[in-house]
Amino acid sequence: MRIFITKKNILTAASVLLMLALWKVLAVVFNSPFIIPHPETTFLAVIRILTEPGFLAAAGNTILRGVAGFLLSGILGVIIGMVAGISPGFNTFITPMLVTVRSVPVISLILLALIWFNPGTVPVFIAFLTMFPFICTNVSDGIRNVDQGLVEMARFYRVDNRRILTGVYIPAVMPFIISGASSAMGIGWRAIIIGEVLSQPVYGIGTRMQTAQTFLNVEAVIAWTLIAVLISFAFEKLIRWGEVNIIQWKAGS
Amino acid sequence: MSLQINNLSKSFKTPVFRDFSISFPEDSITCVLGPSGCGKTTLLNMIGGILPADEGSLEGFEHKVFSYVFQEPRLLPWKTVTENIEFVLNRELHAGERKKQAARLIRQVELEGFAGYYPAQLSGGMRQRVSIARAFAVPSDIILMDEPLKGLDVALKKNLIKWFLDIWKSDRRTVIFVTHDVDEALLLGDRIVVLSRAPAAIISQISIPSLPGNRDTDRDLLKTIKEKLINDLEK
Repeated sequence: MRIFITKKNILTAASVLLMLALWKVLAVVFNSPFIIPHPETTFLAVIRILTEPGFLAAAGNTILRGVAGFLLSGILGVIIGMVAGISPGFNTFITPMLVTVRSVPVISLILLALIWFNPGTVPVFIAFLTMFPFICTNVSDGIRNVDQGLVEMARFYRVDNRRILTGVYIPAVMPFIISGASSAMGIGWRAIIIGEVLSQPVYGIGTRMQTAQTFLNVEAVIAWTLIAVLISFAFEKLIRWGEVNIIQWKAGS
Repeated sequence: MSLQINNLSKSFKTPVFRDFSISFPEDSITCVLGPSGCGKTTLLNMIGGILPADEGSLEGFEHKVFSYVFQEPRLLPWKTVTENIEFVLNRELHAGERKKQAARLIRQVELEGFAGYYPAQLSGGMRQRVSIARAFAVPSDIILMDEPLKGLDVALKKNLIKWFLDIWKSDRRTVIFVTHDVDEALLLGDRIVVLSRAPAAIISQISIPSLPGNRDTDRDLLKTIKEKLINDLEK
């Protein structure tokens, strides 16, 4: 096991190093900070951004929007997904709506949201619409996958409905909720930043990227991108950590 | 007093039971032996009250508490052995009482060292032992068993029957055990009822004099009974 992890770490490190090397090669070939800045100057830019006074407001607001969109889609997605999983009729009814939301280009949603909402709300709305169908579908799939034998067993032993929900359905659906949340978050962060670039709220990573791009500050665009990637990565880790703690029964044998 | 089913009828697309009557003496083990698909599970479900009968009456089953041992152990994968047993216990019991009760049954099936294990960490036989412990943990009057030994190898079957009888002897309940396996019925039953194909009718009923669990002594008698049962099953 330990050997395996070490090998995995080496491969991960090799992959990161290869990306950095390619970046460096491209920077040397193009030899222009307006096209591709050098990795090391970009990392210095990251540090500069992290220490400047406006950073917390920009990153904080983006994270807040992400969390708001995630909670909104998470709560509604779990509730509606559960109902859809239990009632086949409701599932048939809701499926065309979910398919529509999922098929509409994100940019169309943004263009409409720009008309309907204020700049700070647009990214939250977009994040909600992109994440919600994922969580909803995952939860309803999860409910349909609940072992009916276990439900029957619980009913047979006269376990009340509330405990059948908390003791059988919810734990069974948990892995589906987590995997839904994980894939939704990946798309959600991207949607938030696109939303911010186009809606230009006062504070936000997207706003800062857009400003940097206007001044042809490629270094800052990439630096903010790296920060966005780190935030997304941190939340992914958070979800995985939650998964390990919540679904420890799967680790057995 | 005995539990009595009178003139029971039940049809799905075709009739499974038609004017069927059977009785179960209390605190004894009745094995219902029949070919696959003769309606054994349907019978248990009607007795357990999760499936209504079309016609007929069930007497003596009112206000009874049931336990069920299924073909698969049906343990919650996200709960430990202890938690799985506590899950079915009445909430009116104090949490400490539930814990004590679970621990007592875990001791009886000799799984003390595994109380905190998840089902995935146990072998198939151990899981079925938990399922048996769960059935006895509930203060039930009747234990319904739906081929709980199907698909297990012979050594494991004998072992599980031993666990089951050990507990049963100290805590007697009415057991209704359905199976298509003659050997299981012979090892376990006080009384064996042979059913025909659907619509099910009783072909024969045999009471076995010796106590289940100590049957190695009268092999000759068992052999005769076995031949008769196999013969009846083929009718």
